[in-house]
Amino acid sequence: MLLFVGTDWHKGLSPEEMQKVSEQWMAWFKRLTEQGKAVAGHPLERDGKTVSGKNGRVVADGPFAESKEAIGGYFLLDVATMDEAVAIARECPGLAYGAKVEVRAVRAECPLAGEAETQLTEATA
Amino acid sequence: MNAMKMSKDGYLLLLHTDEWWNGLGREELEKYVAQSQAWLERLMASGKVKGGQALARNGAMVSGQNGHSITDGPFAESKEVIGGYLLLDVETFEEAVAIAKTVPGLALGRKVEVRPLTNVCPAEARLEELKREEELATA
Repeated sequence: MLLFVGTDWHKGLSPEEMQKVSEQWMAWFKRLTEQGKAVAGHPLERDGKTVSGKNGRVVADGPFAESKEAIGGYFLLDVATMDEAVAIARECPGLAYGAKVEVRAVRAECPLAGEAETQLTEATA
Repeated sequence: MNAMKMSKDGYLLLLHTDEWWNGLGREELEKYVAQSQAWLERLMASGKVKGGQALARNGAMVSGQNGHSITDGPFAESKEVIGGYLLLDVETFEEAVAIAKTVPGLALGRKVEVRPLTNVCPAEARLEELKREEELATA
């Protein structure tokens, strides 16, 4: 999975540059999809909510709309190795302007249990 | 999944983790794992989930022109990282938040980010804003 980190890197770009990056990004996604390497991808709306606390009783605005760390979008890739995923990440048109791309391998287990299972395995080894 | 268009509505839950489970004993962990699996099965059966996976701990962070900088990440850089995601197929933000509130582990400190999917690239949206501002300024 590619997580696009940073939602403020396009501030300070001229309209022409923004247009260009936007077109490059769409073309990049289209090419990856046609090659069968990307199976899904979306920008994320700037505003969201963060849920925390027992029973999710705390619902706060967040993450911050413009931020170096907020996730602005994702691609779900179908490639065989981490190296391939990283190679694709390096093509991101936003990199030259300060966007960062987090590359994470997906796991087969339940998203919630997976991490705890690893802990269990380590604890009982 | 229809992958040709970046235009599906829906919501993404990003499950944040700061390895809160490190303090749990074996029994608590087993209970948590069982609860999580049951919860996910119910959610999948409800038809509200388009997909979801845990993300492996290790990964890479790519940055700089042509992505010339590749570092181990994200745990190397930050205590709180994204441990998994769920793609929801629900119609309203409220429904997505309601599902987020049921995610196991919240009581133990986990946080869940709820983000609407969009079909407009953020740079494009900003461009439209700028154009509107320009029009207003020259009107």
